[in-house]
Amino acid sequence: MGSARAQVADAIDIETFFICRDAEEAQRLALQLADELNLTDVSIVFLEHAGIGARVRLRSYVHRPGEHYGWLENATQA
Amino acid sequence: MKTVILAPLDPVHDNAVKLLQRKLTEAGYGAIALPPGVTAEEVIERALTEKPAAILVSRTLGYKVAETLSGLVDLADAAGLRPHTRLGVGGMAVTREIGAELGFDGVFNGDLNMPAVIAFIENRPIEMATADTAPARIKPDLTAGYSYRFIDPLIEGLLDQITSQLLDWVKAKSSPGTKRAQLREAMLAEPETSTEKSRLQEQYLQQCDLEIQSFYREGSLPDGVRWLDQGELERLPGLTAALPQSLSVRHVGERPLIFTQYGTGCPVMDAVHIKVAEAWGADGLLHFDPSWGAQREGLLDGLLSHEHDGTILTLDNLRLIRSAIAPHLLWNVRGHRGLNTPETQVLAQAAGADLLKINIPYGATGGATDPARLAVDGVYSLQLAARYGLPFDIPGNDELSGVPPYKTFAGLLVMTMLGLKLGARPIPKPLMCYSPYMMVEGCMEDNFIDMNTAKLRVWSEIIDAPIWPGEPVGFMTHTPDRVQSAMTTAAHVALAKNLGAAAVTMASSDEAYSKGPISAQARVDTLRAARELLRFMGSAGFSPTPAADRLQVQLHAGIRQQLQLIAKRGDFVAAIYEGLLGSPEDGLHPGRTGRGTVQE
Repeated sequence: MGSARAQVADAIDIETFFICRDAEEAQRLALQLADELNLTDVSIVFLEHAGIGARVRLRSYVHRPGEHYGWLENATQA
Repeated sequence: MKTVILAPLDPVHDNAVKLLQRKLTEAGYGAIALPPGVTAEEVIERALTEKPAAILVSRTLGYKVAETLSGLVDLADAAGLRPHTRLGVGGMAVTREIGAELGFDGVFNGDLNMPAVIAFIENRPIEMATADTAPARIKPDLTAGYSYRFIDPLIEGLLDQITSQLLDWVKAKSSPGTKRAQLREAMLAEPETSTEKSRLQEQYLQQCDLEIQSFYREGSLPDGVRWLDQGELERLPGLTAALPQSLSVRHVGERPLIFTQYGTGCPVMDAVHIKVAEAWGADGLLHFDPSWGAQREGLLDGLLSHEHDGTILTLDNLRLIRSAIAPHLLWNVRGHRGLNTPETQVLAQAAGADLLKINIPYGATGGATDPARLAVDGVYSLQLAARYGLPFDIPGNDELSGVPPYKTFAGLLVMTMLGLKLGARPIPKPLMCYSPYMMVEGCMEDNFIDMNTAKLRVWSEIIDAPIWPGEPVGFMTHTPDRVQSAMTTAAHVALAKNLGAAAVTMASSDEAYSKGPISAQARVDTLRAARELLRFMGSAGFSPTPAADRLQVQLHAGIRQQLQLIAKRGDFVAAIYEGLLGSPEDGLHPGRTGRGTVQE
């Protein structure tokens, strides 16, 4: 079986909730998590802190438009 | 009449059985529903008496699923029922794997699919039955059923005056844009290798900027642009074959048609996003090109990928994208602004577009094109739309700069009348949005329903025309939170449906995210949310407050007043330069691109 990552159309989104003091800490944790998960081309799409923590969505682009796409390499030739 | 026994092999849950009994009875079957808690032995005993075509059992509880269901299969085998009675199973606790493993003839998961159930009872292949009974997807005509009759005679008279002046003004005028469109049409009529085509191309290049000339003469590509390679082209059709079926966003009724925008920069990625939108229920697509393309005289050629937003307008790119779009979907290629407006219509038609997009006042302000130039090019484009028999839509996105809606709508109406006079079919696109004007004036502080209701309803007092809120609906209400973004889009779609819109343009849930390209999953978010909200609403409606009526009256009066000012000015192009369709105070400035290029 080939790489699952190669079959990602364009981006991986990861949503989570960090227990943390403020948005700044949440941002740091989000980027640290991306690093721990070996994600590349990462940005924080959304971050909202309230009360005891923050809801965060991280994005890692696997294929940006114009690049060569893994899923196309794996596609059956018509 | 064939008999079917329906048995809930479950101590409590029999909703599916009741629903199936009603549906099968309506379909002409004798449907016998047994009560919850019935045993496998009792089911088989009844089957021996009734000799049914099928026994359909359901099971919701996960406890002892395999034991219970396998008992039924064993008993049916032992009783000799299997040669003439098919065994089917469904329910929350049953997976396709478990059902097949236990020896059932059919397993039903997910939403009730009656064509599949009936095919199963009749012992026909389920896939074939689904395809056979699914209604053929026919490409809809957005303008069908509208008379384009003006209901407000004062506005009709003013528009007649304004557009007569404009049509008179553009007579005997041309531009590099109109010349290139003519040359492009002539080139398309020539065989690929003809010497005449080469001669025409040379003339074409004389009307182009140096950067475009250098692409054709020296093969130099703009920054971030590359050729698609052969491998990509060979593999793409394997991903973009026609889908056997797709979801529907609508729950009741045939309108509004759901449009989404694409323009990732890469035609291959676009094709994938298009298939995602198609699968999740989009009825139509809008092509977005890069803004820099609109600032240059002339268009590139060939199969080109671009690393940034907007997919480059070339005939080959458009044809490749068209090949990925299902035949029943509508396809719009925008050419409402920029120096290549007429040529864009030519390429769009040649590639198989169903709709064009033209708006002189917006393109000549928010779209940054010189008003005189776009007046000449826009009128020529409308003539092309009429000749091609393609409807054109008129985006009202100048509102996003801060223009009050009565000014934007005055512009949409001028374009509507212009199109009608030239024999084309216009589709006005009032924006459902939370515009800067609304924020400053506090017109939408209580809710988003009243103003949007007024903005859509006012059209029914002016003209009988299809109204297509865009672009996308909910503009400036979106945040990067995908739940919020999908929710606000869905709410605007539902309101548009309630107000009788012919179509809507929807964003993805990445609408307010600006750090990267739109993702495929973000496209699904909003289509899925709209489907859910339209299911929730059904035929029920919204209830605007009395403020909606008041706003509608103000809007109608404002449109009349603005059109009177434009008519009094006696020069439509000057009216744009002077801000009568959006002024610097509103946040709009006349465009500069292409200034001084109109030729007498």
